[in-house]
Amino acid sequence: MVGARKWPRFGAMAVAVLSALVVSACGSSGPAAAGSGGGRGSFEVADYGDANDVLEQTAVNMYNATPEGHKVKAVLQTFPGANYSQKLQTVIGTSEAPSVFFNWGAGSIQSYVKAGLIQPLNSDLQSNPKLKSRFLPVVMNAGKIGSNYYGIPMRGTQPVFLFYNKSVLAKYHLTPPTTWSQLLSEVQTLKAKGLIPIALGGGDQWPELMWIEYVYDRVAGSQLITQALAGDHNVWKSAASRKALADLSQLIKSGAFGKSYDSVKFTTGASTKLLVTGRSAFELMGSWEYSTAQGISPSFAKHDLGYATFPTIPGGAGNATDLVGNTQNYYSVLKRASQQKAIGDFLSEMYKPKFVKKLVSKGWLPTTTNATSYIKSSPSPGFLTWQFDRVKQAGHFQESWDQAWPPAQITPIHDAVGNYFDNQSASSFISAMSALPAG
Amino acid sequence: MAVVAHGDRRDPGELSRRVVQRRRRSRVRKAGRPSIVWAVPATVYFTLFALLPLGVVVWLSFTSWSGVGAPASVGLRNWTHLFSDPVMRESIWLMLLLTALGVVTQTPVSLLLGVWAAGKGRSRSVLTALYFIPLLMSSAAVAIVWRALLDPNFGLPHQLPWLFGSGDLFGNPADAIGVLTFVGLWQWTPLYTLIYQGATRAIPVSLYEAASIDGAGPVRQFFTITLPQLRNTMITTMILMVIGGMTTFETILILTQGHPGNSTTTSAYYMYSQAFNSFDFGKASAIAVVLVVVATAIGIAITKWSGYDKMTSTQEGV
Repeated sequence: MVGARKWPRFGAMAVAVLSALVVSACGSSGPAAAGSGGGRGSFEVADYGDANDVLEQTAVNMYNATPEGHKVKAVLQTFPGANYSQKLQTVIGTSEAPSVFFNWGAGSIQSYVKAGLIQPLNSDLQSNPKLKSRFLPVVMNAGKIGSNYYGIPMRGTQPVFLFYNKSVLAKYHLTPPTTWSQLLSEVQTLKAKGLIPIALGGGDQWPELMWIEYVYDRVAGSQLITQALAGDHNVWKSAASRKALADLSQLIKSGAFGKSYDSVKFTTGASTKLLVTGRSAFELMGSWEYSTAQGISPSFAKHDLGYATFPTIPGGAGNATDLVGNTQNYYSVLKRASQQKAIGDFLSEMYKPKFVKKLVSKGWLPTTTNATSYIKSSPSPGFLTWQFDRVKQAGHFQESWDQAWPPAQITPIHDAVGNYFDNQSASSFISAMSALPAG
Repeated sequence: MAVVAHGDRRDPGELSRRVVQRRRRSRVRKAGRPSIVWAVPATVYFTLFALLPLGVVVWLSFTSWSGVGAPASVGLRNWTHLFSDPVMRESIWLMLLLTALGVVTQTPVSLLLGVWAAGKGRSRSVLTALYFIPLLMSSAAVAIVWRALLDPNFGLPHQLPWLFGSGDLFGNPADAIGVLTFVGLWQWTPLYTLIYQGATRAIPVSLYEAASIDGAGPVRQFFTITLPQLRNTMITTMILMVIGGMTTFETILILTQGHPGNSTTTSAYYMYSQAFNSFDFGKASAIAVVLVVVATAIGIAITKWSGYDKMTSTQEGV
């Protein structure tokens, strides 16, 4: 009986505990309060969790060691990289939103800017002019929406290049292709030798997007995407757009990517392994291909990994020096973050020599104006110097389409690209891309 | 004391018997119908974590919400879009197809393995223990392992071209659905085998002894004794398979991401994709409501048609 009498009390306790849980859960998803992230004397910095987040930890440690950092601490919070965009989108409207967060520039934060969540950094740039002048202008501008700057560059730039296996090309007396027709002819030679001429991680879809981005740039010029991003749907139906798709279709149908590229992924290391093992001669990939190859075989990365710019397509409007890729990653600041002054101090760490040196030591190409003086200390000075020159000489550096458009358009873009590689239906691709809203 | 002694003329033995009887009755009443308070934790839990979110999901299905700002009411827009969306229709068919393929492949394999594993012998026990290893692995780990094993250039397809052809298992719909069915079979058969093994061991030995005396061989015994005795177990495992099939998500997320095209996009994955890739929580909520309705209807149908709700014993008269 005593036990039975305890039950109502236990039930009441259970209700109380659960109610408390619910109240706290509702609190975290309710409208945001001012001064989010960290405690009163701190602010949170949300970062893309991967092997490189050690760099951001360095920046946080550097800032925390300064007199300003002693007063208001920066606290690093990493979101697992694979789901970074989803996590950020889920948390950004809540009181748990980080004060400072990693992003891919204007396209990736546009919806947050529209929702009035992001702080324009113009006044910080005025009070500390170095925050602008120490970075390459082309990169600062990619973090700009309208007349406002919303991002300070962090990490480095990651253009896409045509990587190749030097031994394979030498074995078959080939050279890196400079024109589209040379690429098509080398594909035939390599195919005849039983190789998959070009490694492609079609299972991830975004490596396929890189091909479309470059072919569009070379055939139609950089203007087409600028117009499409501005909301002009007709550009997709233009003759240049159809020519770009036809050229790519010719390459796919020639067997350049083999028969099983849909089942190959870059993210599992499988496509790079094709290049490293010599079963493929080429792979179009971001500059991180170097470190990926290094992870599989350090000696291959050092001696056998070649890199070239994307071939030109005769008769095309594109510039041979144009690049596509991830122009840069940025830190943006939440409007309702309470520690704006301290955050400004933290952001200035991004151009300090110590941080730039750390970036270079990890094989990144910083976009600060003083980057060249540190490149020699990197593990791959040759590759970094070559990359820096390509970025400096680039007529246009096109942000990857899946980052230039808002995050909600990533799936439609990837689906359109994936389907085109499967069925080469130009009309389906054109109608899918025409359905995208302005970027 | 004296007053009490004189006033109570009942036999002390009779009194104690009555008290004991009353206590017994009270205990029986309590054991049979526990206080309503007992149901409070489960009710509160179910209300907070199932009914309340479901209500919110129904409300969200009439709004447009990207996760940022406040949801804006859009009336029936998500619903009209959903009913005219070919991907949604295909995703429901695919979900039913994968569930059916799961039941059709997993039931015979796990039934035979379970009956075999129920027998005696050391080698059989060792093999059975080894065979249960997939049960210890999370679905995510299983999917990652199979993605690597089925890589066309560095996995099994490269070693066994006569079996896998070009090895493009994730490049065409039929093969991709085949891979999902196979991985489900590999992953879940041990669980159902375990259930069949336990159920087979519970069948009275006397039934087999009597059958042997009557001259029934192992095959005849399997069809006339084992199978009928496993009827209830079979219904239980099939319900688990149907629920498992309809909620398959992480395997698709890791192995195929709904590709090629949308040919492996089940309703559960489509819901996730709309919410967390396209940030369209309104449409995702409408899909969630459809899933709840479809899954509830199938659940009710199974319990009605199979007689599961009656659950009559298979051992009456034994």
